[in-house]
Amino acid sequence: MPKKILIIEDERSLREALVDILRLKNFQTLSAKNGKDGVRIALREHPELILLDLIMPKMDGMAAFKKIREDIWGEKVPIIILTNLNITHEQFVADAITHKSTYYLIKSDWKLHDIVKKIEEIFAE
Amino acid sequence: METKTIISASDDIILNLKVLAREKESVRRKLAVTAAKLAVTAKKLATTAKEKESVRRKLAVTAKEKESVRRKLVVTAAKLAATAEKLAATAKEKESVRRKLVVTAAKLAATAEKLAATAREKEIVRRKLAVTAAKLAVTAEKLAATAEKLAITAAKLAVTAEEKESVRRKLAVTAEEKEEVRQKLVVTAAKLAATAEEKEVVRRKLVLTAAKLAVTAEEKESVRRKLAVTAEEKEEVRRKLVITAEKLKMSYETLENKVLERTKSLEMARAKEESILLSIGDGLLATDEKGNIIFINKTAEKLLGKKGNEVVGKKFFDVIPLEDEKGAFISLEKHPVNIVLATGAKTAALSAAYYKAKDRVRFPMAIMATPVVLNKKTIGAIKVFRDITSEREIDKAKTEFVSLASHQLRTPLSTVNWYAEMLLAGDVGELNKKQKKYLDEVYRSNQRMVELVNALLDVSSLELGTFVIEPKSTDVCELARNVAQEQKPQIDARKIKFRLVCEKHILPMQADPKLLRMVIQNILSNSVKYTPEGGKIKLSIVLANTENILLKISDTGYGIPKKQHSQIFTKLFRADNVRDKDTDGTGLGLYIVKSIVEKSGGKIWFESPEENRGTTFYVTLPIKGMPKKRLNSSSNI
Repeated sequence: MPKKILIIEDERSLREALVDILRLKNFQTLSAKNGKDGVRIALREHPELILLDLIMPKMDGMAAFKKIREDIWGEKVPIIILTNLNITHEQFVADAITHKSTYYLIKSDWKLHDIVKKIEEIFAE
Repeated sequence: METKTIISASDDIILNLKVLAREKESVRRKLAVTAAKLAVTAKKLATTAKEKESVRRKLAVTAKEKESVRRKLVVTAAKLAATAEKLAATAKEKESVRRKLVVTAAKLAATAEKLAATAREKEIVRRKLAVTAAKLAVTAEKLAATAEKLAITAAKLAVTAEEKESVRRKLAVTAEEKEEVRQKLVVTAAKLAATAEEKEVVRRKLVLTAAKLAVTAEEKESVRRKLAVTAEEKEEVRRKLVITAEKLKMSYETLENKVLERTKSLEMARAKEESILLSIGDGLLATDEKGNIIFINKTAEKLLGKKGNEVVGKKFFDVIPLEDEKGAFISLEKHPVNIVLATGAKTAALSAAYYKAKDRVRFPMAIMATPVVLNKKTIGAIKVFRDITSEREIDKAKTEFVSLASHQLRTPLSTVNWYAEMLLAGDVGELNKKQKKYLDEVYRSNQRMVELVNALLDVSSLELGTFVIEPKSTDVCELARNVAQEQKPQIDARKIKFRLVCEKHILPMQADPKLLRMVIQNILSNSVKYTPEGGKIKLSIVLANTENILLKISDTGYGIPKKQHSQIFTKLFRADNVRDKDTDGTGLGLYIVKSIVEKSGGKIWFESPEENRGTTFYVTLPIKGMPKKRLNSSSNI
């Protein structure tokens, strides 16, 4: 049974790139283009991993992160914060990654294939 | 039968003959026709031959004519040639003549010039001669005049000599007469001398009497003079007294004026100080040594929401209760005014205090206190404080700028990166060689752009002070090993020998691993980039002393030109000798490293004795680690 991954990303081109590569690597994907939809889909579909962008309309990633983590299921789901904000510039990111099963990757520094590898590693743990 | 046969045969023969005859006739006619035609043709041919002959003759004639013309032409040509030669000869002669003429003309010109010069010289000589002649004439005249004068003088002298002689003679006669008279006079004198002695006695007596009288007169005069002097002195003293009095009066007036002026200026100064104190934009509060408020200015009144007369004489701590960020009261011990009063510290500051005035929202306040010291004794304190709400807002705006820039700049770069990556990996079908090459260029340029944007964001974040520092226990050696491992591909590609030496007793230190990683990574990647193939790089980590660790990164690379040593940590600066070796550099790495090191309480310096002899960078970092730094607000864009 392929693993189900939720991609919450407002930028269409990036969202589609992530969907394409993950499907190519035999994952099942769900996607949302803002935090609000993302939280709704997450809580309904219970994906096995979430890729979460931070700056988004309607509800940003920080708020979505808090909402998901408040849920009993969501407390433990691995979340990769996939952003272009710097951990050294953002207190939120610095705080968030202290939470268990939360990861942080900078989009422009990470290759798609390395992101996939990271996901596979997380599932292997 | 036979006859019949013969007859029929002969009939046949006759018939045949007839046929033959007819055929002959026909042939003959044809022949005749042909002959006639031939004849015609022959005639035509004859005619043609004649014409040809005529033409040939004409041609012959023409040829002859041509020949004659040719010959004539040859002759003419020869004549022309001869003429040309003659002309040429003539021309040459003319040329030679012309040249000779030119030469002659030149000679003539030269001669003319010389003549002219000679004429000029002659003229000059003539003029000089004329002048000399004139001068001679004048001199001659003068000589004549002098000669005349001399003659006159000679004549006069002759006359004088005669006169002198005559006088001398007369004098000789007179001398004799004089001698006689003198002798007579001597006698008379002797007589007179006797009479004179008598007269002298009388005169002396008279003189004595006169002297006595004179003494009396002098005494009288002296008394009179003394009296006069005294009067003058009195007058002088009186005058002086008057002057002194006047001066005193003036001094008094001046003093009076000065006192007035001084009073005025003091009053002004006091008013000025008071108005300054009252009206400065910062809140100001003064206390005595016990912490009782003795003065507050207008801004303080406004900020605190209390009037001066409400607070003067009361303890500052009771009047201005402060809270921290979470609303808890700040104790007396932490209050800057108390710190300077209690400890005698020169200044004490507090930047995260909040105050809530009546009917107002709570606002953040920055406080600075200084003691008032008289004769080495603290007699009070001055507290200056201000509302820092707008500063906080500016800080927030700065943080948001970096966030926004990060996001806006990097999003399109990420898109290019990811799609190029998928294409290059063949995720959507294989590319041909050229396509792969082109796309690789796109990918690498984009990668460069990402690095540049990252560096710029780090720089602005460092400069704006929006940098999170989260120190945690970090094994520096482990971190350095990881960084070196990351750069192994580049190190191997350049066939560089790399060594990492870690002292045994280095314990984990309190540092932000992200920042420490940036420091090591930047310096090491510089070493790798600027060391030629086959070079060496050594990274050693040792204890510098009990408080600091020392990172030493040395290479055998291009070095840093001496004259650019002072600029090497400058933002965007790149040394001349590496600009062309690696065009990708941003000139930001060492600037970032220095900022981080200095913000961490460490030091950075380097040695590069000369070009192509390598560089060694030294970084010291305090073991107790970097100070923790949190940002006030996370972005909410």
